Amino acid sequence: MSGLSPAPPVLLARIGKPNSVSLDSYVADGGYASWKKVLEGVKGGEWTPAKVTDMVKASGLRGRGGAGFPCGMKWTFVPTKEKRGDKPVYLLCNADESEPGTFKDRLLIEKDPHQILEGMMLASFALDVKHAYIYIRGEMVHGAEILDKAVAEAHEKGFLGTDVLGSGVDLTITVHRGAGAYICGEETALIESLEGKRGHPRIKPPFPAVSGAWGCPTVVNNVETLSCVKHIVDRGAEWFKGVGRNEKNTGPKLYCVSGHVEKPGVYEAPTGIPWEELLALAGGVRGGRKLKAVIPGGSSAPMLTAAEIAGVPMDFDGLVAAKSMFGSAGIIVMDETTDIPKAVTNIAKFYAHESCGQCTPCREGTPWLLKMLRRIVNGEGKKSDLDLLLQISNQMGNGMTICVFSDAAIAPVISGITKFRGEFEAYIEKSTKPEFEQKAPTDLTNEIADRKAAGIHS
Amino acid sequence: MAKVTVDGRVVEVPNDANALEACRAAGVDVPHFCYHPRLSIVGQCRMCMVEVEGVPKIQASCTVPVRDGMVIKASTEKALAARNATMEFLLINHPLDCPICDQAGECKLQDNAFAAGLPVSRTSEPRRQFPGYDRTPIGPHVIADMTRCIQCTRCIRFCEEITETGELTFIERGGHTIVWTHEGKALDNDLSACAADVCPVGALTTRDFRFRKRVWWLDKTRSVCDGCEIGCNISIEHRDRIVYRFLPRVAPAVNDFWMCDYGRFRSEELNRQDFLKPEIRVAGGDAERRQTNWGEALDAVKAAIEKDPSKVRVIGSAFLTTEEAWLLAALCKDSLKVGSPEFTVDIGPKRRIRNKVDGWIYGSEAAPNSRGCEAAGLTRTSSLSSSSPAVLYISDASFSEKCKDPAFVAGLRQASVLIVHARTRNALTDAADIVLPVAPLSGKEGTFVNAKGLVQRIDTAIVSPPVVRTDLEVLLNLGARWNAFDTQWTARDVFEKMQASVAGYAGLAWDSDALVGNPPSISPAAAYDVLGLERDPGVEVFSRPSVTAPDRLP
Repeated sequence: MSGLSPAPPVLLARIGKPNSVSLDSYVADGGYASWKKVLEGVKGGEWTPAKVTDMVKASGLRGRGGAGFPCGMKWTFVPTKEKRGDKPVYLLCNADESEPGTFKDRLLIEKDPHQILEGMMLASFALDVKHAYIYIRGEMVHGAEILDKAVAEAHEKGFLGTDVLGSGVDLTITVHRGAGAYICGEETALIESLEGKRGHPRIKPPFPAVSGAWGCPTVVNNVETLSCVKHIVDRGAEWFKGVGRNEKNTGPKLYCVSGHVEKPGVYEAPTGIPWEELLALAGGVRGGRKLKAVIPGGSSAPMLTAAEIAGVPMDFDGLVAAKSMFGSAGIIVMDETTDIPKAVTNIAKFYAHESCGQCTPCREGTPWLLKMLRRIVNGEGKKSDLDLLLQISNQMGNGMTICVFSDAAIAPVISGITKFRGEFEAYIEKSTKPEFEQKAPTDLTNEIADRKAAGIHS
Repeated sequence: MAKVTVDGRVVEVPNDANALEACRAAGVDVPHFCYHPRLSIVGQCRMCMVEVEGVPKIQASCTVPVRDGMVIKASTEKALAARNATMEFLLINHPLDCPICDQAGECKLQDNAFAAGLPVSRTSEPRRQFPGYDRTPIGPHVIADMTRCIQCTRCIRFCEEITETGELTFIERGGHTIVWTHEGKALDNDLSACAADVCPVGALTTRDFRFRKRVWWLDKTRSVCDGCEIGCNISIEHRDRIVYRFLPRVAPAVNDFWMCDYGRFRSEELNRQDFLKPEIRVAGGDAERRQTNWGEALDAVKAAIEKDPSKVRVIGSAFLTTEEAWLLAALCKDSLKVGSPEFTVDIGPKRRIRNKVDGWIYGSEAAPNSRGCEAAGLTRTSSLSSSSPAVLYISDASFSEKCKDPAFVAGLRQASVLIVHARTRNALTDAADIVLPVAPLSGKEGTFVNAKGLVQRIDTAIVSPPVVRTDLEVLLNLGARWNAFDTQWTARDVFEKMQASVAGYAGLAWDSDALVGNPPSISPAAAYDVLGLERDPGVEVFSRPSVTAPDRLP
């Protein structure tokens, strides 16, 4: 799956090597050197948790799961030992990669699990974690088996356990399989699920760093983020900063390019490479066709038209400036043959299926959007549908729900309709039930105003 | 305490209150579904949306802890639009069949649809159905209908946090989410019907009340459950002399928001009235009893007692109000000179209820007022002595389950004249010579003293049929024959007369809140006190005009 990269790959360096999942081959490639180095330096005071944290902070590493929150800063939110008392700190590796269009973590898990483990070990050291968990998506059975085996090997070889390598550091890692829910990738839902409950996102605050798994301070980091930690300790924060294309977006990044390109796959490239370079890595749009739209950050990112994405640096800030988001770097490329209404319907189907059902706007709104979109593409659309879709979408997001799932669900709908309205209207024009008209939303607004004026509406 | 401004009105609330409680304290009625004062906060119905100054996004007020100086804007365009939005989402799949839904009239969704809903629906999609999960009993008392469910999880949290039995759970997810029992389990715990109480819509209804009466026809009277010594505050809900149901009345120190199924479903029993007129058997022996009038019946009682006052024995009952017990004791002591009446209480089965102050409280006595009876001068005995008096006067004939037992009754029947107060027929009434028909709990007025020693008042819900009297009236009329009592006395008069001599009653006022408890329906503003929130006396509390029907709290 991995493709060519502009520079020698770091995160993907061992992908494709024979038996890359075994501990021996990992050690042979210089693996666990950082972990050994840190542990050996513990007694002499050469390595302290603060030093690792500072390195990660200095590196500018931003969370690779989607939000792009500075990783080092997240770690500093964990209360100090004096404040948290006897409570342990937990590190959770978020391996619940489920965002449509994203498949980078899976590659790392299935091909280089020890890289993740080493990253977890170093992060655990920095955060004073005694027990770390890998929460892996239920569908990734193969990945879970590999991780289980890798953890067992690491325990066996003494890289995990009590008093690791005689340093006095204790660390256990447990692999926990989810039951296959997209929402469990949301960190608080992940924690709930890990605790054995339904994966329902929690109300924040309190944030997990203060009160997470079992009420204890908890840090949730993405697979790729933790893998980056290993390389930061390996090569230093300056190296990491040097890889990125700009100050705020540093390090190597895995781009999952899928859709209508010649060579879909996971590409490692410096964070912030321009769109055109990335597209070139993936061999360009398939069959030399014209580019129509790109979803740049997994299905929850608003789609961008070919004109909008031209020249955009593919990083957290560049895509926000382009009014989309980088998310998990799941880049879905759509060429001129793409039927946008059908694509949007397909995405809406995913979100209607995956809504956890906790908050009313999301539970009721996502199926409603889907029903309307389906009706439109099935040739039974109404003229008022498009405005209604936008209005419903607008009343689902922006704080109306506990987590940002509904914001994710509405992004493709809003961007699809506003940017490709003509395609939707073409469907509606061919509608077989145009007479099936309802009051226009504007009439409704007037009616509400009338009610209010009459003092009926409180 | 934190000073919070809600729509320009300043209130002081405890630091652990949330913005929704602050709004309610300020008299601003923010609609909500999933919030319940005794259940954990989940913030998932997204109905109680308000704006908080300094916070850019709209907030679910129940999830926002208050802080000093917080400014809440509950009635801005943005807040109202957000609530409209949530209402719209809730209504797109909810059946619009209020006329055939049993919850109509006390449905939060219905109320809030009036207050914050859109006038018309914008959806034309087919509504969601849950074949197999509609109108299905999920336990002995509760029927579930998932098409009406709004997934607020109050019932799930009730079963997890209050009863700690956890029978209910979410099944499926997203738009298909339903609330149901765990596989192979029934919603069967001692408070199960409270799950229907906390349900804001018609998704959970009680089997026993379902479709028996439209709730807006029901009159509500404050009373106290007589099922055990805990004395749960209840509202007797009745219409046209028929009791339809009991609902718990909020009593933070006793039953809080709850009541047990045993007590709740005693309501039907109150509709039974086997004796409508006094019955008398003059000749004794095998002669049939015949119906008579009160004059003849009470004269016969007096005549029997006066024959040989030294051989009269009186048995009271812990079902008497303290006022009645005091009259009985006074009659025995002052007029009949027979010493204090005895009474006995059935022990068990153990009942329990939970409140926030005490946790679980238990009641093992199967009668409501043993403490009041003792205080009024009745003597508690564990077993009734088997002396055979000339006259045995029993008030009332259902004082114990044993009264259904012919062997036990045979012991009592050894008296030459057996006089009983009775409402329902049992072995004891069958054996009695004189039966004086009395009213059930719903017809009485007076006070009970519960297991915690609290004096609680009950009110008359239903005036009994013409010839049936309350125990109080019977005793007054009987006492009047010795010129001991005035027949015009009310329960309140007796209460005030006995106050000085009955332990625990001194200083109490008949109309005081402590005695009366909370009303059956609590407006949001009145809920203030229930929630234990302090109100700044200098601040005027407004009540917004609202189109919502007065609702039960919460």
